[in-house]
Amino acid sequence: MITQAAPPTPPAAVVPQRPPVKRRRRRPDLFRTLSRVLVMLIVIVQVYPLAWLFLTSLRTEQDFATGDPFALPGSLTWENYARAFETGDLGRNILNSFIVTMGANILIVLLGMMAAYAIQVLGFRLSKLVRGLFLIGIIVPVQIALVPLFIDYSAVNLLDTYQSMIIPLAGFSLPMSIYLFCSFYEYIPQETYEAASLDGAGPYRIFGLITMPLSLNTVVTVVLVNSIFIWNDFIFANTFVLSEDLKTIPLGLQNYIGAMGKVDWTATFAAVCVTITPLLLVFLVLNKAMIQGLESGATKG
Amino acid sequence: MLPNRSRTSVLVFLLPPLLLYSAAVLFPILQSLFLSFFSWNGISDMEFVGLDNYIRMFATDDIFWRAFLNALVYLAICLVLQLGGALAVASLLTSLRRGRELVKTLYLLPAVISTVAIAFLFVRIYSLEPVGLLNQLFHWVGLDSLERPWLSDVNTVLAAVSAPEGWRFTGLYMLIIYAALLAVPKELEEAAVLDGASRWTLFTKIRFPYIRPVWITTTIMATTYGLRGFDIPYLMTNGGPGQSSELLTTYMYKTAFTSTDFGYASTISVFIVVECLVAVGLILFLLKRKADS
Repeated sequence: MITQAAPPTPPAAVVPQRPPVKRRRRRPDLFRTLSRVLVMLIVIVQVYPLAWLFLTSLRTEQDFATGDPFALPGSLTWENYARAFETGDLGRNILNSFIVTMGANILIVLLGMMAAYAIQVLGFRLSKLVRGLFLIGIIVPVQIALVPLFIDYSAVNLLDTYQSMIIPLAGFSLPMSIYLFCSFYEYIPQETYEAASLDGAGPYRIFGLITMPLSLNTVVTVVLVNSIFIWNDFIFANTFVLSEDLKTIPLGLQNYIGAMGKVDWTATFAAVCVTITPLLLVFLVLNKAMIQGLESGATKG
Repeated sequence: MLPNRSRTSVLVFLLPPLLLYSAAVLFPILQSLFLSFFSWNGISDMEFVGLDNYIRMFATDDIFWRAFLNALVYLAICLVLQLGGALAVASLLTSLRRGRELVKTLYLLPAVISTVAIAFLFVRIYSLEPVGLLNQLFHWVGLDSLERPWLSDVNTVLAAVSAPEGWRFTGLYMLIIYAALLAVPKELEEAAVLDGASRWTLFTKIRFPYIRPVWITTTIMATTYGLRGFDIPYLMTNGGPGQSSELLTTYMYKTAFTSTDFGYASTISVFIVVECLVAVGLILFLLKRKADS
């Protein structure tokens, strides 16, 4: 991770609190107990809807229609999942989401590193201006691009292609990534470059042999943070893609709303469970890296 | 600066990212500004109308003003839930001894889930027939009078579509604020405790001022995200019933892609950009000035 921004490690935060522990144990600290209960309550509010989503996906339709929503499922069934796969083209949607996420991430990482290298390491006269230009992309909402891009894409026949999603997603993610790479490159010691220069390495070799390999941790952060945004993108996919074959997960899910707004809820929830699983798994496995990335991304602002 | 770099090498590294960024972000912004002076439905010839679109927007379009006010309410609800909730949990979390990592992970979970899934989920949570989680909860605690179809009641729909967006990102801001709170030097806090500061004074006089830079960042993030909120209201109610949950973004989207009024839609999106820039400027001004005083 971005080592220089390492938040104080938990042990350091805990150590000074050690001495009072014994006394507190005898006389329960009201404040501490209260905080614990409150935090637990808030976490339940935060997590319960998701647990409910999963439980509902295992209910029979009958049970769902008549039962108490908080009750545990009367009987478990996987039938909803079978129906979910029949109704929509879930496999196809997931594949499309993978293609778009991968494509955009490759662009973001490669171009982000290049721009940060030019701005932070190579340096040039107008680097401040260019940095400012990229900052605009963090502030302006993505909606500004919808109408112009729709017009431009239809002019060059890019509507209804993977590129029509990848390009704007990558473009709008680029600023934050450049920012993260820049703040990492700031801390690579100048001597490293000078030594390499003395050995005869030019800017390209230094980029390939020093800067890129050193950026690996930042790459993980950038990919994780952007993947959430890209995997879940609804607005670009909804605007630029029409054919079933190209629909990503967020659009595919809409297929479950039938004509007249009638919804097969249990199958829909099963589909939702299937589609959020990949990102959820990645998140749960790599959440330390992701959490540190999010923290360092913002605390440096 | 690298010793033996050349102008070409700078261009080689800078041009590709700039090209993509211009194609996807910079050029469309300019194009929107340009289009906002035209009347165009995408098929017939573009017609230059000067400031007509702007006059129409500010002077005669009631839906625009309705959507603007709704967007402000939406923003306020998101900010309270996200920053208020985040601050509360983050400060509570610093006083916990165990399970911090678990709480952080669980709390962040909703941020990973797609807006479409969240919209589906909340449609069910709010529903009255069959009874959803919220109405059932009210029934249990004896507040039957509060039971209602939250999404079709014009009085509650705006709050109902704002809450999920707030709920979704509290975890993100909590993480950031929590990391900042941990960075407050322990000596400062201990010195204050020795001087007899209460937990409240400790919070208002030491912790909060210390994390002001992070406060500025998170407020700006939450505000710009709040002003661009689109997916959840669009999916849950599509602005309805009537215009009661219409936001500027959903209004812009419908103007562009349902009424195919590209010129006027661009005018609205120019307004959204200006609104974001003004908001960021205002936050910086207010919070910086307070810091100086």
